[in-house]
This record gives sequence, structure tokens and C-alpha cells, in this order.
Amino acid sequence: MTLSLFDQFLSPVVCWIPLVAIAIMLPWILFPSPTTRWVNNRNLTSQNWFLGQSTSQIFSPINPGGHKWAILLSSLLIFLTTMNTAGLLPYTFTPTSQLSINMGFAGALWMGIVILGMRTQPTHSLGHLLPEGAPALLTPVLVIIETISLFIRPIALGVRLTANLTAGHLLIQLTSTATLALLTIMPITAIFTGVLLFLLALLEAAVALIQAYVFILLLSLYLQENV
Amino acid sequence: MPQLIPTPWLALLIFSWTIFTAIVLPKVLKHSFPDNPTLPSKQNLSKNKWDWSWH
Repeated sequence: MTLSLFDQFLSPVVCWIPLVAIAIMLPWILFPSPTTRWVNNRNLTSQNWFLGQSTSQIFSPINPGGHKWAILLSSLLIFLTTMNTAGLLPYTFTPTSQLSINMGFAGALWMGIVILGMRTQPTHSLGHLLPEGAPALLTPVLVIIETISLFIRPIALGVRLTANLTAGHLLIQLTSTATLALLTIMPITAIFTGVLLFLLALLEAAVALIQAYVFILLLSLYLQENV
Repeated sequence: MPQLIPTPWLALLIFSWTIFTAIVLPKVLKHSFPDNPTLPSKQNLSKNKWDWSWH
């Protein structure tokens, strides 16, 4: 029974076409490339505004040296929000519910940030292993704890996104199955589960946007420490 | 859990990074953020008249 519930996360292949390829390649039609016109259409202008606002929001607390990462992190934000929200549509596959994709982005970017910090300013980067204001007696323990937390970061980053999306999609599948099954047997209960399903769908929409933002925010925080 | 099946891992990883760098990065790079237009200032009109300095 449980295995069939998780089947929605198997990488689907239809007529020898892996659907994950379509799920990753197709949403970019919704994002037209900006033209050289002075005034673009509403679609482009609103996307431009959103991109500018989010980039300035995320990068305002970072040193100017770290602003080179703006293109990478803001395009990753667009990538993750699009993948997450597109996966909410029925019968679509959510690429970001796959551990491989999330760990690929999290691990690579975390490692790049840490290596950058260690190479350009090793003392400053290693200094983050001992938080300010800590009692001197706790120093050995704290350094060990902070090192462990440093190395857990990429795993946490990838698994957080995967787990949130997987859990959300599973809950939606469970409640919709329940609603459908109860419709003939106990219609009033089915109405309640239907309301629950509606609220869950709203939650999932919020989670899709928030989790993508949290991913980028945490990467920007790690960048702040290391740049 | 299907996400832990290792077979499509490398393919998915490389494919997602490829699409990210090939499609998303160029699209986002093309966005430009020009300065806000400023109102013409009336102070600078009378200074620096063209004075035909070579005659």
C-alpha cells in the first residue's frame, strides 16, 4: 500500500521519453527573454520587477564582493519557484521532489561558497566555527559542534526541499484518495476532507514559494559568512 | 523510496544543471535594470553656454 503511494515520485517514462526532461525544459516558455525595447510587455515588466526586487532584497546585506553571485542565486530562485509551482498542477512531475536534483544544487553551491571563503579569507571563515560571546570553557565543544553543523548544511539544504515537497504531494494524494473514497459512503465526511484538501492545496502553493526562497536565503547567508 | 533509487541520479543531476546553465542563466542575464528617469533640472539651463571658443 505504502509503495503505491510513493509511486508518484518514480521518475516517469512515457513512450521512452523521461517526463522529468519535459518537466524541466518546458516551463521556460513562460519566461520570455527580454527584448532590446525600452518598454517591454506586462509579462516581461512584471518578471523584471520581481527579479530586481528579490535580488536587491537578498543581496543588500552581503559585501559588494559577493554580488557576483547575484546571477547564480537569482536564476536559481526562478528555477526552484517555477519547478515547485509547476509541480502543483495535476498529473505533472515535480523535479525538485527528487533528491538527486536538490542535492546537486545544494552540494555544489555550498561547496563553492565554503571553498571560496577558505581560499580568500581562511581566518575569517574558520572564525565562524566559534560564535561570538561564547564562554571560553565551551570553546572545544563549540568548535566541534559548529564543524558538524557546517558539514550538515548541504545535506540539510537538499533534504529540506525534497522532504517538504514530497510530504506535501503525499498529503494531497492521501486526502484526495480519501475524499473520493468517502464520496459514496459518507458524503458529509467527504465534504470535510474536501475542505481539508482545498486548504492543503493552498498550503502547498505557499510551501512551494517559501521553500525555494528559504533555499536561496540560506545560501546567501552562507555566502555572507564567507565572502 | 523512489528518490533513493540510484540509477537516474547522475543523469537527473547533470540534466538539471545543464538546463539551468543553458536556458535559465542566459534568460535572467538578459534582464536589464535601467536607472529611473529623472525630471529635468531647471538649474543647469543657464550655465555653460556654447561660446565658440575657436573664433
